[in-house]
Amino acid sequence: MRKRHSKLTALLTVSAMTLTLLSGCQKAAPAEGTVQTSKAEETKVTAAETSAAEETKAAEEAGSTPRKETLYFNGQQWGTINDWNPLSSNSNNAMAIAQQDNAREIVYETLFMYNMLDGKLYGLLGKDYSWNDGQTELTITLNPDAKWSDGTPVTAQDVSYTFDCHKKYATAQGSDYANYIESVDAKDEHTVIFKAKLDETGLPVNPLKVVEYVPKIYVLQKAYLQKVEERNGNDADKIKQDRMDDFVSSGPYKSYYNDDQKVVFVRDDNYWGKALWGKLPAPKYITHVIYENNAAGDTAFKSGEVDVSQQFITNVQKLWEEDGLPISTYIDEAPYGVCATMPTAFFNVEVPGLDRKEVRKAIAMAVDYDQIIASAMSNQSPNFKDVPRSIMNPTSAEQSLVNQDALKDYQFTGNDVEGANALLDKAGIVDKDGDGIREIDGKNLSFKAECPDGWTDWNASLEIVAAAGSKIGINIETYFPDANTFYDDMTTRKFDICMWNPPAASVANPWGRAMAFMSTDYANLKVNWTGNYGGYINDKANDLLKKIPLETNKDTLKEYYTELSRIYLDEVPSFSLMYRPMLFHAVNESVWTGFPQLDDGDNIPPTDCTDGYGIAALYNLVNVN
Amino acid sequence: MKNQIRQIFHSPKFTLGFTIFALLLLLTIFYPLIVTDDPLEMVGQGNFFKPGTYISVKEAVDTDPYTLNLHTSTSRLEKNLSMDERMAMADWLQQFAGLSPKEVDVTDADGLVSLWKEHYDSASEQKGLIAARKKYFSRLDKKIQGLLENSDVLVAEKNEETGEVSVKKTIPSTSYVNVSEVGSKRVFILGTDNFGRDVLTELVAAIKTSLKIGFIAGLIATTIGLSLGLIAGYLGGFIDDLILFITNLFTVIPSFILLILISYSIGKNARGVMMVAVIIGLTSWTWTTRSVRSQVISLRNRDHVNLSKLSGHSLVRIILTDILPYIASYVVMALILQISSGILAEAQLSMIGLGPATTTVSTLGLMMNWAMSYSAHLNGDWWAYFPVILSIALISFSLNLMNTGLDQIFNPQLRE
Repeated sequence: MRKRHSKLTALLTVSAMTLTLLSGCQKAAPAEGTVQTSKAEETKVTAAETSAAEETKAAEEAGSTPRKETLYFNGQQWGTINDWNPLSSNSNNAMAIAQQDNAREIVYETLFMYNMLDGKLYGLLGKDYSWNDGQTELTITLNPDAKWSDGTPVTAQDVSYTFDCHKKYATAQGSDYANYIESVDAKDEHTVIFKAKLDETGLPVNPLKVVEYVPKIYVLQKAYLQKVEERNGNDADKIKQDRMDDFVSSGPYKSYYNDDQKVVFVRDDNYWGKALWGKLPAPKYITHVIYENNAAGDTAFKSGEVDVSQQFITNVQKLWEEDGLPISTYIDEAPYGVCATMPTAFFNVEVPGLDRKEVRKAIAMAVDYDQIIASAMSNQSPNFKDVPRSIMNPTSAEQSLVNQDALKDYQFTGNDVEGANALLDKAGIVDKDGDGIREIDGKNLSFKAECPDGWTDWNASLEIVAAAGSKIGINIETYFPDANTFYDDMTTRKFDICMWNPPAASVANPWGRAMAFMSTDYANLKVNWTGNYGGYINDKANDLLKKIPLETNKDTLKEYYTELSRIYLDEVPSFSLMYRPMLFHAVNESVWTGFPQLDDGDNIPPTDCTDGYGIAALYNLVNVN
Repeated sequence: MKNQIRQIFHSPKFTLGFTIFALLLLLTIFYPLIVTDDPLEMVGQGNFFKPGTYISVKEAVDTDPYTLNLHTSTSRLEKNLSMDERMAMADWLQQFAGLSPKEVDVTDADGLVSLWKEHYDSASEQKGLIAARKKYFSRLDKKIQGLLENSDVLVAEKNEETGEVSVKKTIPSTSYVNVSEVGSKRVFILGTDNFGRDVLTELVAAIKTSLKIGFIAGLIATTIGLSLGLIAGYLGGFIDDLILFITNLFTVIPSFILLILISYSIGKNARGVMMVAVIIGLTSWTWTTRSVRSQVISLRNRDHVNLSKLSGHSLVRIILTDILPYIASYVVMALILQISSGILAEAQLSMIGLGPATTTVSTLGLMMNWAMSYSAHLNGDWWAYFPVILSIALISFSLNLMNTGLDQIFNPQLRE
């Protein structure tokens, strides 16, 4: 009996201990918060300590740099970098090579920088640009100060040869732009002429695509390209796979160190841009530590090990409101950033069921977008009541190109289960066998909605889409494969519903986005990386899409875009689930301050201090003292 | 039998385990009778609302107020300005308003606030201050203004036709409502999750699902394991070799990997609760087979079995009446362990996104999966994951306790 008692006591002790342990865990979270608060207040001390610690480490560890001279990033680079080659189509060197509408300008540079806040192009390697009357020739004068990292000047031949290489070796960019640009010729040392491709009638095929090239494609050195060609025997595949470790570039930073842990860039103190900007960018080093996942990146960001975060952070406002961390975003209130893109669910219109516009529209009407924005995006997006649906993003530049009043009858704000049910009933799409799922020709309406695994906010959004389906008698199943499987499904149209970003902010938008929604050309691509993944074809829309690039009258453009939006909202070949920032941009001011803020008068977009005109932010940074 | 049951309940371990388990089971039965909301309904629009009672603001405004003379503006300041905030204000005043430390007294909220109102201007340059801190001060300033606000709040009404706005009601700062008089309210004992779903309701539904999965998986695994073990052990020879071969084959393939592969290949739509349970059951029977077989081998040459054989009893009868009762207690214990591991297996599967679909059912693993994805563990939103972990721990803890308790009764070596 005594033995049993002692056992019972032992058991009770163990459970008591376990409970104490568990309650200890429970307390851990707020305790951590307090530690962080005090940390925030002693920024000075922490920063000094860290930098001292870093300095001692520097001697021992390769690639270490003084904390106070280094700007740390997260959310861009997720693996060991594989090359420095802007001609490559599978480069993963995210910090150095991102030839997009707002190209990353820290290593390589483009002719002009795009600023999504005012929609204008700012000179970098290029100084001025002008069209001739028929929009057949775009003349660009180069900045005479521009120099390569080896000291030689950037010339018109370099610009011309870069385009030739893209075209000759059929890179992803080359094969795209060759359809719109006939040639890029050097007129003299500092003047280049972009000749637009002309159609049968002698009109340029698409002047918008010509301008789009300018802030997007890096200028590469002719001499270096020839060297690469020579060592690869002019073989296109080999050239595209060249690692280019010995690259020559014109940007403010050079490669310093990289391994599977991090990528480090060092400032080129002879950077030519001193003449343009009046000074050098403030951080001597730029480092991107390669984190295991979002959680690891977030933890580092919160503790001040990362200065600029390009990661989606749930309830980001809690970081300063509750945890008191020195963290801020571009805007202090929701949506916290500039939303320029609109993640969209594309319907595969070739799938039986989804070829009916009633089914597509019913799904789009029933989805609870407010819920997506509030929970999946944790309010980092304006809702569809504030910015009614069209093919435009919420920026004022684009909104001014559409007549919202004319679209009222077609717009939907979501969670309209009744309306969606009525629409389906009216179209005769009903549930005949009583299993709760509607049928067409005796077949249950059942679809798969997919996006890559681990893209948390997208995964959650599609779950909410699936929940809406069950309310209107359409079975929607979510499917989150790994990214490569998803790309394969999306580009070869092996999906029912897939989620992807249409083009965000660029000189060629909203036209480019309209193309991505409804272009017949894209629909006919065998492997489609460009847009209109679901293969929607509408002749009227396609005519309008062809007319827009040649039109310069703003009123006519507005008419065209309104009509396109009307078709888009009526036919619903795809529907946007939310508005979203192109890049997440949250900064921790433990070490650096002076990041762009709304209404600071600098007109610098929140593009992580690296993309497009956003790089101007690097020149404004100062250490926290 | 009666004696045995009495004996079992004399074991403190078993009793404790049984009580915890019974409580959880009762919770899953009675909670849904009281709270009839759909556990998957996305009530809250936003992520991770804190635990608490939420009352309708609109109705609170319409409810008859009581006047309580509490919190006049001075005491409001004392109450609502934390020491941290006062220190921050004092710092600011010294740094940017050029006041000496003597002039600034943090213990006197009133005086501090009047100094603050006199000197603070959000538009001033505040050189050397980081943006996050500037924003902090401007939020603090707003808060102070709100606290000082002594005038009544006006509730206005908009005339639909003319668009004119007229005052409908004024609310003085001494107005209070009794929470029980507000009709529309919702208590979230454990807050909401990332989809805005009520965590407690979801948790109860999830425990129910998990128990269901555990029972089915455990029953399947035990049935397969028991039948194969009995046949192999009793018959011996070629059949024994064959069954042992298959069992070994399944033992060397890690069952969790098998589980992942099968779950992945059948797709999310087909992966209902039943299907997941069956898959788990089908991949975890091997060790039951092996141990039942070895027990049967030691039993099959006992005298009473041989006697039965001589009497010409059929194979089925011998196994059922002469062998099974001797290993019954062991089988029950094995079943309990199988249930426990089935529940854990589901949690693991759902954690990596291979469980049932999120929109159709809630399970413990799915709840953990979404809490992790929305970094609840990093943001201190403990209610979204901690109760889930605790439930999983309690379920397997109670089952294991029952198992050890039984072991103590039935295992002669451990018997006291």
